[in-house]
Amino acid sequence: MVNKLLSILRDSPNSFEGQEADEKVVMLLRKHIFVVLIALVGFALASFVPLIVLIIFATFIIKLGLLSLVIFISSLWYLAIWLAVFRYLTMYTLNTFIITDRRIIDRDQYGFFNQKVSELHTDRIQDVTVHTNGVIETILHFGNIVVQTAASEREFVFHQIPEPEKVKDAIMQIVHSRMSKATTR
Amino acid sequence: MPSFELIFNILVALTFLAYWVVVFIILYHLTRFGIGVQPKRLAAIFLLGSVVLFCISIIVYLNVNTNPLLNIRPW
Repeated sequence: MVNKLLSILRDSPNSFEGQEADEKVVMLLRKHIFVVLIALVGFALASFVPLIVLIIFATFIIKLGLLSLVIFISSLWYLAIWLAVFRYLTMYTLNTFIITDRRIIDRDQYGFFNQKVSELHTDRIQDVTVHTNGVIETILHFGNIVVQTAASEREFVFHQIPEPEKVKDAIMQIVHSRMSKATTR
Repeated sequence: MPSFELIFNILVALTFLAYWVVVFIILYHLTRFGIGVQPKRLAAIFLLGSVVLFCISIIVYLNVNTNPLLNIRPW
């Protein structure tokens, strides 16, 4: 029973809301982990604030007997940081690009109650471009992928995707297989 | 007029309530809308950490002495 419950943490399927019956998820993409690490450094620095306050005002706090209160306020500060970190990680996790064998779905989560879902059918794809900009993106192998559709429609841009070349190849492979299927019919 | 301690306790209770509301919202989003294994793992870590941090805060709260605050005079 417990093992079955814990199995969701090991092999949860990449299924999503609105998935068609025989639709297969080819790739599930999120932004590169480096983007998250930069934000986490900011949160780590913020966690030192109570310690710095305690060091600077130590004599004042001890003299007035406020140490227990300051420690309690510090604990509330850490609760707030904990929530802020996981709010950020939730937004990061929910911002996904799903490439299936028939479409590309771009889910943008701007806030807890602010979400945008766009989708693009692979038969409308005309061109896929990879754009790597800067030293960090080149070294860590991440960049933007621009999916160009028919002229009247807007283009899809996936920002800071890890290994964009592989993703581009996968998209093009899906497009070619769809095209070859269509021509054999 | 309510005592200072009562006001302080109500404020702390409201803060803890707000904390659990946000915890619920984050957990709900991760488990309901998350795709794949990663959101579920994050949710498990988050729940565990939230409970641990909350317990630490409660223990610290039980040792808080608000009396010195009343003795502070700005003049």
